[in-house]
Amino acid sequence: MSEMILDQASEADLKSLVEERFGHEPQWSLARRQSAAEAVLNLDWPRLERTPLKKRKLDQLHLFKAPPTPSRTAAAAPEGWAEIWLDNNQVVAVSMPEALSLQGVRLESLTAALDDPDVEKHLGRLLGQDADKIAALSGALWQGGVFLRVPARIREVVRVSIRSHATAEAGALFAKNLIICGAESHVTVTQRLATDEGVSKTLLSENTEIIVEDGGRVDFGAIQQCAPTVEGFIHRAGALGHDAVLNWSIGEFGAGLVVSDHVSHLDQPGAQTSSTTVFFGAGTQHQDYSAKSYHHAPHTTSNMVARGVMKNKARSVFTGLTQIEAGAKGSDGRQKEQTLMLSDDARADAIPSLIIDERDVYAAHAASAGPVDRAAVFYLTSRGLSEPEAERIIVHGFLAPVIDAIALPELRDEVWDAVERKIRA
Amino acid sequence: MSTPVLEISDLHMRIEEKQILKGLTLTIKGGEIHAVMGPNGTGKTSLAQCLMGHPRYQITGGSVRLDGEDMLTMKPDERARHGLFLAMQYPSEISGVTTANFLRAAINARREDGTSISLKAFRDQLDEVMGFLDMDPKFANRYLNEGFSGGEKKRNEILQMLMLKPRIAILDEIDSGLDIDAIKVVSKGVNSLKGPDFGSLIITHYQRILDYVHPDFVHIMVDGTIVKSGGPELALELDKKGYEWVRTELAQSTHQA
Repeated sequence: MSEMILDQASEADLKSLVEERFGHEPQWSLARRQSAAEAVLNLDWPRLERTPLKKRKLDQLHLFKAPPTPSRTAAAAPEGWAEIWLDNNQVVAVSMPEALSLQGVRLESLTAALDDPDVEKHLGRLLGQDADKIAALSGALWQGGVFLRVPARIREVVRVSIRSHATAEAGALFAKNLIICGAESHVTVTQRLATDEGVSKTLLSENTEIIVEDGGRVDFGAIQQCAPTVEGFIHRAGALGHDAVLNWSIGEFGAGLVVSDHVSHLDQPGAQTSSTTVFFGAGTQHQDYSAKSYHHAPHTTSNMVARGVMKNKARSVFTGLTQIEAGAKGSDGRQKEQTLMLSDDARADAIPSLIIDERDVYAAHAASAGPVDRAAVFYLTSRGLSEPEAERIIVHGFLAPVIDAIALPELRDEVWDAVERKIRA
Repeated sequence: MSTPVLEISDLHMRIEEKQILKGLTLTIKGGEIHAVMGPNGTGKTSLAQCLMGHPRYQITGGSVRLDGEDMLTMKPDERARHGLFLAMQYPSEISGVTTANFLRAAINARREDGTSISLKAFRDQLDEVMGFLDMDPKFANRYLNEGFSGGEKKRNEILQMLMLKPRIAILDEIDSGLDIDAIKVVSKGVNSLKGPDFGSLIITHYQRILDYVHPDFVHIMVDGTIVKSGGPELALELDKKGYEWVRTELAQSTHQA
């Protein structure tokens, strides 16, 4: 069974694969996996209005292959940081400053933490396994991943780095991550998703759930620079308690196809979320992003910003949704999406939407997608700058307000480097 | 460096199907200031942009040479590096690059030997020119033209001209929308470059700026061509008689000729 292709698999094949690989897991986890395995064949691939998946032949994936074993060794983590390295979702190394482990911070492989009641309680709460075929596959076959738990009221900012890498011949990877930030603690997480350059066609499914308890704050930053052969389905969701804060900073640059979203559930009064997405598509990349803010409670605020650049024949869709439920009085939800197109063949859609069921709120959205201002290019070239240099300056100016606002300095620099590489590519 | 010569010869140009320039001939040499005046919509701005190489214009005949070199085959940045400069009527706002960083990049782009100007030499020069133009030094660190008033943008064009030291400068309605004090400053900038190594083409709708920058030659442009040329006195005559006189009398006489 080790080399079976998905479209040749029966439900029984899937279930016996789950038993073979995960039979040793706690009963609750195994039961969930089996119920997901039962659902795989009955569910469709994700249906995305502007991102057809049919031609991608996702069901030809060598799903049953066990991911290759890790080969890398980890470099030293930055001073004071906790860092976890993963190859093909399997933990290679964890480094944890003693001060943090003494205070009860846990950072480890999620599979190794299945005995923790918090994992049973929260895993799959925000990202279920019945949404579509990929969600079910992930529910049945996920492995490795990261579990981070920060206890309540840690006095200093806990800084965590996740370095996730897929090697060649990975095939299909399903990862789950769970982050729990205890009350009144403050965590920054920087996630780097990358692959080997020559990686074969790979389905990368990455689900991250973030629980922010009362008065807690999570600054979650991610940068994705996978090879063009990767087809990524990256879902992230957070649930916020009273006065909790969740700030997303997402930089999307790699992968031939990426379907990525991040969702904030403002569950309790006073919760706040902000989200910044920077994306840059080139070649024939297809990028489908969405960001969602759900105001379930009064006096919650959300602010969503996205800026993208499309060159060559790249194609992007950015869908923003701000939903304010009845009773969420005094809430404030905003979103703004802007895309710049560097060529006539590039295409970008920005689709903002607001759903407001409460009168006493503030909500606003704005969206634009347009080509580079040719008058500005002419102006700059008339002073002696070459056309590529003029475009580079214009792209810089377009992205600077959002990139420079990224709260995680090391991520900010990496995002600028990625932009620079894409401009010159 | 030798005295520059810009020769525009029988230039024909159109945008899509519309013929804009219909055989325009004009030669500008170092040491000379030429003024091209004319009613609105006669092709003055198109002439300026076309000389700088704006891609929207299609040349259908004639030639433009700077020191004998064909400008029409060059892109705008190449023309700039050959010493051509255009102060634009509506300069673009460029976010994300400060005026100072932009100017430094532009100066470096024009250096033939590939070396860069030192930061200190650049800063000293910038401070001096900004002082000369009564510009607040903080403009240097603001994004290029972003949020600038009309007058500030025009002053910024002159600042760029003085920093880049072109051989031939085309000033497209540099005076429009300016108050007298601003016109004086702009004119001071142009006059400071006057000399055998610098020639200028001032395109204007109004006579006012010519009180401060004294032209050696005045040309009247109507309907895509120059209909009358003369000395500074022509501007005064035009001021007195108005553009109606140009349209009726001059345009007619050329058509008959």
